[in-house]
Amino acid sequence: MKRLNLVSLFFGGLFGFAFSASGFNQYDVIHRMLLLQNFRPYLVMASAVLVAAPLLWYLERRQWVTPLGGVLELRRWKPERKHVLGGIVFGAGWAITGACPGTIPTALAAGCLLAAVPAIGMVAGVVLHDAVAERTTDRDPAMGSELWSEA
Amino acid sequence: MPHVLSLPLPWFVAGPLMGLSVVGMYAVTNKHLGISGSFVQFADAARGRPIESWRLWFLGGIMLSAALVAILAGYPQTGLRYGVLTHVLPLNAVIPFLFVGGILIGVGARWAGACTSGHGITGCSTRSIGSMTAVMTFMVTAVAATFVIRAISGGAL
Repeated sequence: MKRLNLVSLFFGGLFGFAFSASGFNQYDVIHRMLLLQNFRPYLVMASAVLVAAPLLWYLERRQWVTPLGGVLELRRWKPERKHVLGGIVFGAGWAITGACPGTIPTALAAGCLLAAVPAIGMVAGVVLHDAVAERTTDRDPAMGSELWSEA
Repeated sequence: MPHVLSLPLPWFVAGPLMGLSVVGMYAVTNKHLGISGSFVQFADAARGRPIESWRLWFLGGIMLSAALVAILAGYPQTGLRYGVLTHVLPLNAVIPFLFVGGILIGVGARWAGACTSGHGITGCSTRSIGSMTAVMTFMVTAVAATFVIRAISGGAL
């Protein structure tokens, strides 16, 4: 059993606990957030960033050596067109389903069978995007996939 | 089932726990926490491409916790219910609606490079300007689109 997998299971568990216990796996919570009737989800996200950002900044400054992945290297992306265009498409899907990619598996695990529909749609959307992207650019598709998988 | 856990968790507990998950993943594994990457593994498996197994274990952890929370809080979302959506629309309208929405989420997250977690929480925490650009775009779009949906549904949604 790879240690990386076990560590991922643990932190996935921690993240998923806070996520689900915030009600982020419920359509009504996300929908009211996007209707600006419920500001709690924004506070959750902001406080997550406020806790993580200084700690990551400190670890990076100290050139922290991670036990499983070498010297800490924080991933950053320069703003590009794709962040805006992808963001628009993503935002529309988020509004329609009341689900972000975290909502879908956590709703399913809580017994919400209908979450299987956007789950299948999402995997289809990834394949659809790549099929179009690989046809319209001459970039090596494997390389595109590699670039993306960083995030 | 007694409600061992009362929902929702206070935001000042839930948010920092998510932040610590992000820090923990980076500090131990040097990996950038994000959930949409897990879905890519299914697409890659279907296309015969190599997969990153840690992302599936991460997804497994999330789902185990979600099941646990549903049990402890006495809040299983059983049956073919989807919040207000299934009160307002019949099932044969909800399913295509959710499917189209799901495709948009998949295309958009793939295109932008990450989602609400990978860009929204982790990317903002690493001070990635591209992530902040994506977050501002999808937040504004999602809020605007939700108000459009509200208008089209005559205030029902």
